[in-house]
Amino acid sequence: MIAVFDFVCRLALWVMLAPLLPGLINKVKAWVAGRRGPPVLQLYYDLARLWQKGVVLSTLVSPGFVAGPAVAWVALIGAAMLLPLGPAGVVFGFRGDVLLLIYLLALARFGTTWAAMETGSAFEGMGAAREVSYAVLAEAAMIAAVLTLSVQTGSISLDTMLEPTTGPGAVLLAGGLFTVLLAENCRVPFDDPNTHLELTMIHEVMVLDHSGPPLAVILHGAAIKLLLFSVLLTQAVLPMGDLGPVAAAGALAGGVLAVTAGVGLVESLMARFAFRRVPLLLTTAFLLCLFALLVAWKGGAS
Amino acid sequence: MTPGLLLLFAAAVMAAGIAVGLRWPRAWLGLTLAGTIAALAAAGVVLVGAPDWEWRSAFSVGSEPLHLRLDGLSAMFLVLVSVVGGAGTVYAHEYWPDRLYPESAPRGRAWWSTLLLSLGWVLVSSNGLHFLLGWELFTVAAYFLITLERARPEVRKAGWLYLAASHAGTACLFAFFATLAARTGSWDLGPMREQTGLAPLLWLVLAGFGVKAGLFPLHIWLPSAHANAPSHVSAIMSGVAVKMGVYGLVRFSGWLPVPAAAGWVVLGLGAVSALLGIAFAMAQDDLKRLLAYCTVENVGIILTGLGAAMLGAAHGDAPWGRLALAGALLHVWNHGAFKSLLFFGAGSVLHATGTREMSRLGGLWRAMPWTAGLFALGAMAVAGLPPLNGFVSEWLVYLGLFGAVTARGASAWAALPAAIMLAAAGALALATFVKAATVVFLGAPRSKVADHAHECGPGMRAPMLTLAGVCVVLGLAPVLLWPAVSRAAGAWHPAWAIAEAPAPLFTLGMVQLALAVLAAGAAVWLWRRAHANGVQRGPTWDCGYAAPAARMQYTSGSFGGIASGWFGWLLQPERRLRRPRGPLPTGASRVERIPETVLERLIFPVGDVVLQASTAVRRLQHGRLQFYVLYVVIGLAAIGALVMAGGNS
Repeated sequence: MIAVFDFVCRLALWVMLAPLLPGLINKVKAWVAGRRGPPVLQLYYDLARLWQKGVVLSTLVSPGFVAGPAVAWVALIGAAMLLPLGPAGVVFGFRGDVLLLIYLLALARFGTTWAAMETGSAFEGMGAAREVSYAVLAEAAMIAAVLTLSVQTGSISLDTMLEPTTGPGAVLLAGGLFTVLLAENCRVPFDDPNTHLELTMIHEVMVLDHSGPPLAVILHGAAIKLLLFSVLLTQAVLPMGDLGPVAAAGALAGGVLAVTAGVGLVESLMARFAFRRVPLLLTTAFLLCLFALLVAWKGGAS
Repeated sequence: MTPGLLLLFAAAVMAAGIAVGLRWPRAWLGLTLAGTIAALAAAGVVLVGAPDWEWRSAFSVGSEPLHLRLDGLSAMFLVLVSVVGGAGTVYAHEYWPDRLYPESAPRGRAWWSTLLLSLGWVLVSSNGLHFLLGWELFTVAAYFLITLERARPEVRKAGWLYLAASHAGTACLFAFFATLAARTGSWDLGPMREQTGLAPLLWLVLAGFGVKAGLFPLHIWLPSAHANAPSHVSAIMSGVAVKMGVYGLVRFSGWLPVPAAAGWVVLGLGAVSALLGIAFAMAQDDLKRLLAYCTVENVGIILTGLGAAMLGAAHGDAPWGRLALAGALLHVWNHGAFKSLLFFGAGSVLHATGTREMSRLGGLWRAMPWTAGLFALGAMAVAGLPPLNGFVSEWLVYLGLFGAVTARGASAWAALPAAIMLAAAGALALATFVKAATVVFLGAPRSKVADHAHECGPGMRAPMLTLAGVCVVLGLAPVLLWPAVSRAAGAWHPAWAIAEAPAPLFTLGMVQLALAVLAAGAAVWLWRRAHANGVQRGPTWDCGYAAPAARMQYTSGSFGGIASGWFGWLLQPERRLRRPRGPLPTGASRVERIPETVLERLIFPVGDVVLQASTAVRRLQHGRLQFYVLYVVIGLAAIGALVMAGGNS
């Protein structure tokens, strides 16, 4: 009974809190630029409005155009539910659940790119091709990060493997994971969520033809993915094992806020990279995770 | 009934099928299906817990007494042969009928039954000589199936390449079995792990079976053979025949002592095959060639698991080795199911449109909804996505590798790069299959042939549905299969025959089930919600593009361009570009071809040198008698000189 309650609470937490993050990022950006900016809750208003709207479907699309975003959304929620939440731990976990998390993210990618390809539009094909190609490097970096964590703790379940150490390894890991976060969530310098110039985009260009409730589901899924990566990054590098439950929860929330602010600052201070440099940046992220892995290996042996 | 009787029945009806197949297709269908079902039952009886079936007879073939054996490992592969064989039989009945192929269809049926029979024979025979006989029959039967359409030159070429490469492998196997027989004094096969002097023979096993398994860089024959064969043949070649190479590797690495370096080598070759195989697949425009290269990737995953298992067994029977072995064995089944499904789907597309070029297809889902849906399911399975079967086996292999890493032994240095390479290969597989499925089935038709497609009939749909069902069941209830897998693992390494499943497997099955239900529910819910507020239909908006045309869509080449650019050093694409010139350009084109690099850049040049040398030597033979007499004199003089020189010392 308690487990069910726990499950429902977490689900509500993830679903309700996730749309806050893009709003916060936009606030940070507005603050840096000296503007007032949209309200923090803007994404909530957008989602509510989209949910009430009708849809425009291309004559070319199959039912997969709607099913893709739905599958992606379920996959992202599922991945989020696997993550432990600071002092509360996991609602359920098993050996190797971290691999399920990575592959659920892949399933979400399959759903969104499938839906993008439905329209037969060259722009959306371009976005889908970029999404799946850059994910190759991002996934290699992710698995290197996961290997780092399991070398540190000797565990391969999320419940016990997120016990960070301090030192150069944590810094390297934080750098690598933060870069992966930016790439996987299509933020600057990989992608520009503000632009409407289709040729430069990944995520935004894939959803050009979506409207109404399917678009709402895609946007909400993207927000959940951002929150998921922020929570993962925070718990992978911020040691909070010794803190009390309240302090740990506060540290987790603070960490997520710091990551969000970091994304906003990067977005304010940097321009989007040319696409040919994106693989280089992702390779750097991979190398950071790899060096963190070597540091962890050496640290454990001594 | 005992497995022996079932196998006898299966062999009898299959042999009858060879004779009947030449004249009566329906009777052949019934007999072959009965045979595969009986073989499946025999394998099932062994896998659910009956003791191994073993039969020695005084009756001898080739002066060697018959010795047959069906243990957990061969039963596991026999299940694969019978399921894919049965599905392929039904598929072939509609796909390759007498009506369309009056000349080759009867031949095809006879060779098909021969192939199934010889595959079964290879799996149960436990005598080196008989194994080789069955192996050769299987190779030849597959050759005749690949070249069913031998009027086409590229088919003949692919067939010759297959035959030549297979026989290079068979030569290694001849050497292996002959040396084994010479060392042990008998052709009889069985566990001989304690005779440590036999360990170096495993390298011959690796070379001989590696060719058949399509291990990189021995895969040179595989893409053209699988692409040019009729689709039901491609399915059994990719899903089953390639696995015979895997069977040989697993069988003899279990029976023979293993050299210390073998685990490292197999693991390394597996990981490299996985990554490079899928890189080649990503760059293909031919749908069936893409699937063929993807087979190289999946064999790589299987061998990564096997290599990790060998390392685990060598390092004190580590439990992670058992997980990796279970993943490898399960992937044998999984790959058989989804790859055959995908080849059947590709065959159905070929049947409907007459082309395998993805850049000429598109928008087929409307004409072929069943094929599109089932191909999409197969694509998800092969990309290793939850909740389907591909994920379960890849997950087990990963668990094995991660176990090796956390154990922090020497094996970790092999497992670390292998895990990273598998992850990259997994993401590339996703990219490849998003490309294959969406370019072929979604969007607008790119040519007239795609516009006039039609759905395949029930005879082709039923086998696809069956295999899709297998993919779903293996994905949702992996724990049910654990006894079978652990039985086979026990045949490989007796210490690992533990019956109870690792606890996470059950949880994983539950999570996969929940995921499948929720995803389906969410899709229906969103579909209803989208329609609740009214749906407007219009052309693709595309940011306000005025006149979208089908030719503007992203093609397979443009979709794969980014990722295959990273592997340009390996793929070495050949590009021919004709730019538009002048104020009134008449035409422009850009043709890109991805060569089979290992074959065309490595083996062909070497072959050319050999050929040139032989041509040069051949000038000596010209038909002039005087010169021949001169050769004899020179030869005699040389021998004389040699004898004189030898006599002095």
